[in-house]
Amino acid sequence: MRIVGLLFALGGWLIAMSGLFMTTSNMGRGLFACVGIIVSIAGSLGFINKFYQAQAIWKK
Amino acid sequence: MNSLKIKLQILLAFMGIIVLVQFSTPLMAVEEKTQVAVVPAPVNLTDKDLTGITGPNKDDITAKGDPGAEMTGTVNDVTIADAKKGLTLADMANQIGQNKIAINFVWTLICGFLVMFMQAGFAMVETGLIRAKNANHTMMMNFMVYGLGLFAYWVCGFAIQMGGCGPIANLGGAYPLNAEKVVNLFGKPWGVFGTKGFFLSGSTYDVSVMVMFLFQMVFMDTTTTIVTGSCAERWKYSAFCVSTLGLGAIIYPLFGNWAWGCGWLSQLGVNFGLGHGYCDFAGSGVVHSVGGITALAAAMIIGPRIGKYNRDGSPNAIPGHDLTYVLLGCFILSFGWFGFNPGSTLGASGNGALRIGSVAVNTMLAGCTGGFAALFYMWLRYGKPDASMAGNGLLAGLVAITAPSGFVTPLASAVIGWVGGILVCLGVEYFDRVAKIDDPVGAMSVHGINGLWGVLAVGLFADGRSNYGGSWNGVSGNVTGLFYGDAGQLVAQLIGIATLLGVVFSISFVWNWVIDIVIGQRVNAKTELAGLDIPEMGAVAYPDFQLKASEYGVSESSYESATVKN
Repeated sequence: MRIVGLLFALGGWLIAMSGLFMTTSNMGRGLFACVGIIVSIAGSLGFINKFYQAQAIWKK
Repeated sequence: MNSLKIKLQILLAFMGIIVLVQFSTPLMAVEEKTQVAVVPAPVNLTDKDLTGITGPNKDDITAKGDPGAEMTGTVNDVTIADAKKGLTLADMANQIGQNKIAINFVWTLICGFLVMFMQAGFAMVETGLIRAKNANHTMMMNFMVYGLGLFAYWVCGFAIQMGGCGPIANLGGAYPLNAEKVVNLFGKPWGVFGTKGFFLSGSTYDVSVMVMFLFQMVFMDTTTTIVTGSCAERWKYSAFCVSTLGLGAIIYPLFGNWAWGCGWLSQLGVNFGLGHGYCDFAGSGVVHSVGGITALAAAMIIGPRIGKYNRDGSPNAIPGHDLTYVLLGCFILSFGWFGFNPGSTLGASGNGALRIGSVAVNTMLAGCTGGFAALFYMWLRYGKPDASMAGNGLLAGLVAITAPSGFVTPLASAVIGWVGGILVCLGVEYFDRVAKIDDPVGAMSVHGINGLWGVLAVGLFADGRSNYGGSWNGVSGNVTGLFYGDAGQLVAQLIGIATLLGVVFSISFVWNWVIDIVIGQRVNAKTELAGLDIPEMGAVAYPDFQLKASEYGVSESSYESATVKN
């Protein structure tokens, strides 16, 4: 789960960066960046946090 | 419930009015009158014109002194290169140049000293917000973060961050900082890290470089001290030391290079036509977001304090032991911020440096509205004005204005600070109740979320009238945000945010994960319940006081089961 989260976090950045090459319009690049940001957040606060929450001491 | 909704609607309406006024500012500015500048006729001076200029008689000063400052600081004090020739135009020009750089050195150094003093503010805020049984441990983390960060930054951090940043006009060049590792990918140059300045040796033993090092070092130390707040009350001291060394040596300098050291983010304007590239005047992203995001990664790994959450997942409030510490610390931080933001002009003379007043006013306004917003939010939501959240609101406003402070109007600063104050309240509630990531001081919300908001705010509110020598990041013209006509700048800022959330988070997470595997990040449950002062540090902070044990929601079973990394 942690590895998946890391891949999502880094993948989000790659999505944002790919916009620089896929289009020259500011709107398009902005959309790529926003999607990338959401994917990165899903990786960190979604997958990685979920992994640690599953082991949280208050659940034991 | 209805009255709460009405109050919130009034609050939102007030914010809407401020935003509308902000939007209308450029329209109102159209009617400005133009004035024709009167250019004086050139005067052809030669060295001969300087002959005969004499200063006051030194014997007079020796005999009478100079109480009125009429004989001190005259032509006598101009350095003459050749005594036989006497005073020449070259001497005068050199003196003027040295005066400019001297002013900038003094300004930048004094601002750096102010930023260094922010360490005291952070120490007080964090220590005040934790329980007395951990006060020595938390204070010692804040104390040692200064030395650990400085050491790491001197060894390699500075070289990685600023090794290729030169020349810096306001500091007389800093020419030795001229080696940036550039990778050519997809037909574009990508600056990745600097390669000069390790141990400040070789040609980087240079007066300009020293000023730059001091100023950048205290910024880096601010980043490292953010993490200690989020991980307080359960962080193993040895793990903290190693984690801080990595942050100061590698993680912070890498992003710092990309944003401030002529790295690829700063060149998004030159290479991809995105405004002026990623712009971060004083470090909402570079300093605060990097700290806040690293704090998030570390806090997730370490886990919440024992007693923070009940078995049903509901959070318990764990009040700090000294609110006076907290608010005094906030004042110290506000004071230090006058070094943080205005100091980022790197001078008080030349290349737009006279905007220091504007930057300082923007800073104080955003702090003010941030504090107000958090205070009113908590008052409306919970019926009482919360002191610690008011303090955090002040800091949130200051964090948010750090990146835009050099590019926006005072009105925009007030709006940015106000939004920052609301965001910190929402952020604390989100991490506490939804994400269930324990952050004893709210550092992830104050620095992480508001750092990102500050980066975004540059892309929205930069008014295009901040002239710092006619260009920024190699792109001519002034930094202009979306509301003033440049959508490309907003995209550059979004790419910066994606990099912080994607790359910086990943590196920070992996680094702290490795530390968790090798050393173990968390103290054992027995130590945590006893308080970290004696088991970890060997001394309590308040030996003359009887400390009251307050174990929020902690049962024997949770004590037994809380054995993570014993």
